[in-house]
Amino acid sequence: MATVLWLQGGACSGNTMSFLNAEEPSACDLVTDFGIDILWHPSLGVEMGAPVRQMLDDLAAGRRQLDLFVFEGTVILGPNNTGRFNMFADRPMKDWVKELAAHAGAVVALGDCACWGGIPAVDPNPVDNIGLQYMKRNHGGFLGSDFKSKWGLPVVNIPGCPAHPDWVTQILVAIASGRAGDIALDDLQRPQTFFKTFTQTGCTRVQYFEYKQSTMEFGQGTRQGCLFYELGCRGPMTHSPCNRILWNRQSSKTRAGMPCTGCTEPEWPFHDLKPGTVFKTQKVSGTIPKEVPTGTDHVSYMAHAAAARIAAPKWTKEDMFVV
Amino acid sequence: MPSDLRISPLGRVEGDLDLRVTIRDGVVTDAWTEASMFRGFEIILRGKDPQAGLIVTPRICGICGGSHLYKAAYALDTAWKTHVPRNATLIRNIAQACETLLSIPRWFYALFAVDLCNPKYKHLPEYDEVVRRFAAFVGTSFEPGVTLSAKPVEIYAMFGGQWPHSSFMIPGGVMCAPSLSDVTRSIAILDAWKRDWLEKQWLGCSVERWMEIKSWNDMLAWAEENESQRNSDCGLFIRFAQRAGLDKYGQGVGAFLATGTFFDPSKYEHPTVDGRNDALVSRAGIYDGSAFHDFDHLNVREDTAHSFYKGDKSLHPWQGETDPIDPLEGHKQGKYSWSKSPRYDVPGKGAIPLEVGPLARQVMAGREGAASHQEYDPFILDAINTVGPSILVRVMARMHEAPKYAGLVRKWLDEIDLHDRFYTKPVEHATGRGFGSTEAARGSLSDWIVLSDGKIENYQVITPTAWNIGPRDRLGRHGPMEQAFIGAEIQNPNDPIEMGHVARSYDSCLVCTVHAYDEKTGKELSRFRIGEMG
Repeated sequence: MATVLWLQGGACSGNTMSFLNAEEPSACDLVTDFGIDILWHPSLGVEMGAPVRQMLDDLAAGRRQLDLFVFEGTVILGPNNTGRFNMFADRPMKDWVKELAAHAGAVVALGDCACWGGIPAVDPNPVDNIGLQYMKRNHGGFLGSDFKSKWGLPVVNIPGCPAHPDWVTQILVAIASGRAGDIALDDLQRPQTFFKTFTQTGCTRVQYFEYKQSTMEFGQGTRQGCLFYELGCRGPMTHSPCNRILWNRQSSKTRAGMPCTGCTEPEWPFHDLKPGTVFKTQKVSGTIPKEVPTGTDHVSYMAHAAAARIAAPKWTKEDMFVV
Repeated sequence: MPSDLRISPLGRVEGDLDLRVTIRDGVVTDAWTEASMFRGFEIILRGKDPQAGLIVTPRICGICGGSHLYKAAYALDTAWKTHVPRNATLIRNIAQACETLLSIPRWFYALFAVDLCNPKYKHLPEYDEVVRRFAAFVGTSFEPGVTLSAKPVEIYAMFGGQWPHSSFMIPGGVMCAPSLSDVTRSIAILDAWKRDWLEKQWLGCSVERWMEIKSWNDMLAWAEENESQRNSDCGLFIRFAQRAGLDKYGQGVGAFLATGTFFDPSKYEHPTVDGRNDALVSRAGIYDGSAFHDFDHLNVREDTAHSFYKGDKSLHPWQGETDPIDPLEGHKQGKYSWSKSPRYDVPGKGAIPLEVGPLARQVMAGREGAASHQEYDPFILDAINTVGPSILVRVMARMHEAPKYAGLVRKWLDEIDLHDRFYTKPVEHATGRGFGSTEAARGSLSDWIVLSDGKIENYQVITPTAWNIGPRDRLGRHGPMEQAFIGAEIQNPNDPIEMGHVARSYDSCLVCTVHAYDEKTGKELSRFRIGEMG
């Protein structure tokens, strides 16, 4: 049995919607089969009124056990650090977050907004959004660099806009089935089991990438090629299991022809959506990608690309994803 | 009293909307809806890439993300004067409809029907059965209803890669070019969902039988026609809702707006604002309570008299402003919500509040004069004309769209020509103005975009929730949901479940915090929250 409290700050509820798409286990399975006790959730909580307020007060004061505190959305600081842009149960949400985090066994930041600010924090960040323990890539965030939950953990970041339901549910099952010790975090505090691989890992377009063959336009153009060269795909530079654990059990954005925008990384949305940066690969000298795959550099990338193009078989210039 | 802004403890909710009501002799006498969270998306979009709205606006709402994408794409199509191939229109239609098909059962079981288990109804003969089916998490219908609701968006993922939050619709078409099996799997998924939830669990009959219903009396007769229909979730709900009096309150303003959605693929290859109404499948229009009017987006206004923004103007969204002020300062000026008050200027009536959502759409579907590609369906207009709007009618209008849209999705899947184009690369004009709109599950959703110098100069979004839960306007007229609370009889002021039913019947994307006050003493009777998803 693990108790879970799930709250939303500057949120769109997308992570909740994604969570409700889960199967094996479904949201209901977690409750009925795995003993996950959802104390309260914005969309699923049944009780209302005084008992819930009493429970929140008890949790915030440490009088009642809170194992997992899941937070979705940004922490809103404005205006002027009052938090009045986001009130919750008589108080700024940010004050609840501080107190609940101090008493939780583990604190889970679910989705980009809670991890590192996400879309609401894009320049000019109108309401002063911040992530729980990061602001973009800067460590610290709302709870501070030194924050550790009762179980001795920093904030567990499960990024993505939204996070895939499995990235949440499998962690909950791991905790419920005695495997909490197997959950290792990477240097951005993300579970390694999901975020060590790249979005490109398992992408159906990877053979086109290998031989540097580009998709030239959307729609019918995506029957061939890789989306990295012209259409701004960040699959080779983004850590996620989007092509290992498929979305809605069916597909992924890159498989369907949509470039990865890098939504599991702290800098997302990249380039702050400045003119000319959306669905277009940023280049130097008109041809060379400004950013090359993680771990390589421009010189070795260019050498490899030249050789790969020479080696490219005829089929890499043809449609593969045909009728 | 409007100065009291405390947000109270919780019900089934997120954190954005408070509702305060006054009660006299057990009847609600006045209401204020107060949206209490602000993120500033329109400010973020200023100066950004013209296509930034395709990424940013879906994140306004996680349950309407596909609808946000749909109208953002059409705002750019009209601004850039693109060509949209037939296939792209079909796939956009399919995606929009599938998001709504997810929303219908998820809303019914996770948000609405749970309240029917309230002890207020203990004395009703069907109460035990209602609890057995609809109780949260453990109800025999709750679990499959919620879990199977994820199936329609598997079809969305087939074309868009994922749901929620894909950005696969772009000016000029869609990013995907499906293979044969993408389409056949979609057909199979739709078919299984239709069989397992829609027909077996919800209707207890075939979609074809349900679609024979043309009037409110037809529906009442359907519910008693045989054991299967009588015992279905729908049959049980219709019977229980009448016993619980849900057909007696929550009328609202009785005037409706739909901006319409879904386009005939051959009639909207060159999307323009002027050509929009004629190309729609699900029609746009206004019903002011006695007469229909054609929709013209130039008649839309946003009023900020009671909203936490500078000034009290009433502007068309192309001229719209978003200049937030501190709520503390706003309260001193009599403002009480982060929502603006959208109004529509009806010829001869002025700028009036209008209800949006499935009820509005289905009223519009009953208007005479539909073209051959447009939907005509008299069922819900008949309900408005015979029994009038209520919680029950609003719920049935929503649920009626499930069989209807399931049929449309199948038709559009069958029409995709896998060998034709899905995208035509547009010219990215540096300057232009666009309007894009759709019907999200919960109502009309529109974008107005102004481009200059190759970037966004102004971007204004009007959500269905703003139409429904917006505050009073400059003339002091209530928003539609505020109006719907007035007159409701509250049996137990410490547990005013009636207000929960009213608020949830609108399926607004926000949270409601209900503060119930005794009108004479101003004493707070109870505080609780009622919530919606998204």
